[in-house]
Amino acid sequence: MDEGLASLPEAPADDPLAPLLQRILGGEVEAFEDLVARTESRVLALAWRMLGDRHLAEDAAQETYLRVFRSLRTFRVGERFEAWLVRITVNVCRDLARKRGPLPVPLHVMEGLPTDSAPLDAEETTLLRQRRALVQQALASLPQAERAALVLRDLEGLSTEEAARILGVRPVTVRSQAASARAKVQAFCARLLHPHGGRP
Amino acid sequence: MTRHVLHQLPLWVEGDLDAAGMAAVDRHLAQCPDCASAAGALRASQDLLREAMVSPFTTADRERLRGRVLAQVRVEASTKPTRRLIPRPALLAVGAATLLFTVILWRQEPTVAIPEPRPAPTAPQPPPEPPPAVAFQRGPLPLRIRESAATPGKTTLPAIPTRIEFQTADPTIRIIWLAQSNPLPDTTPSMEETL
Repeated sequence: MDEGLASLPEAPADDPLAPLLQRILGGEVEAFEDLVARTESRVLALAWRMLGDRHLAEDAAQETYLRVFRSLRTFRVGERFEAWLVRITVNVCRDLARKRGPLPVPLHVMEGLPTDSAPLDAEETTLLRQRRALVQQALASLPQAERAALVLRDLEGLSTEEAARILGVRPVTVRSQAASARAKVQAFCARLLHPHGGRP
Repeated sequence: MTRHVLHQLPLWVEGDLDAAGMAAVDRHLAQCPDCASAAGALRASQDLLREAMVSPFTTADRERLRGRVLAQVRVEASTKPTRRLIPRPALLAVGAATLLFTVILWRQEPTVAIPEPRPAPTAPQPPPEPPPAVAFQRGPLPLRIRESAATPGKTTLPAIPTRIEFQTADPTIRIIWLAQSNPLPDTTPSMEETL
């Protein structure tokens, strides 16, 4: 996974995307294609982690780039472009999530998952797929703010301060929300992987 | 053995405690099997989370997205942007200035001619000449202001007794207001003056 692990310093010495931005601002629309190509993996992954739905994530990524194109002239020189891009992506995802409403969590689908105690080699792929679905359902069960904190902090690899800047909250809030989300995800997975109460 | 640290584990697992807190949890985990087990489960959960949330998008997905974005961007770039005759900052400045000017005008006291203070009369003044009768009109009634008494040295409006007279359309009726903040000196009844 190459996307999402780069840190986002707020004011780097030189932004590698700065020349591209200058070309776009100069009216070179083709440069925008390069910009999209260099950042789309991160935007798509972030949108999917925030929303938990592939099609919605693609819509979010498209809307993100359109907003970037329309408001590129408001981008502050000296700010890291990727931080700005992540902020726009998060805002677009929040808007879409608000319109969509909370995702249903079909717990019954997860009941009867095979446990670690008796994995069959032939079923490993299926087991892995089921575990992924389980984690995604656990994420879907989180409040939006906790999910955003968890995604930015633990999956996108941002520092607490960077995540707080993007979400517009205090660092202590991000720390608290991410910790709460980690505990809930762990409890959710333990309950379904070990339904008889055994400690994982 | 120190107190259990279960409630700190969700912070500890991603290094969100300060150095002293991290060291304290580490020391406790080394001697508490229950907390160590919970810490291991939380670590496994975090690993599972990262494994499960690897981006599912392929190169084809990304190319499709790029195509959609660029098609829309080209359409927007080709449409001639609407040029403003006045740039937006200038519009904002004009609007702010207009608002400020309006507020200043609104807050201004109504202009009232303040008579110069002069010594209080030693003898009762003769009643003023009745003003000429004014025909009925819808516009503002004629206004006459004169002082009935004055406090020398004070120029503020409330300190000076001010007499405001309105002559109504009926020549026999005149409205007289005496306004001041201090107690009024001896005033002559208005009826006597009007009659």
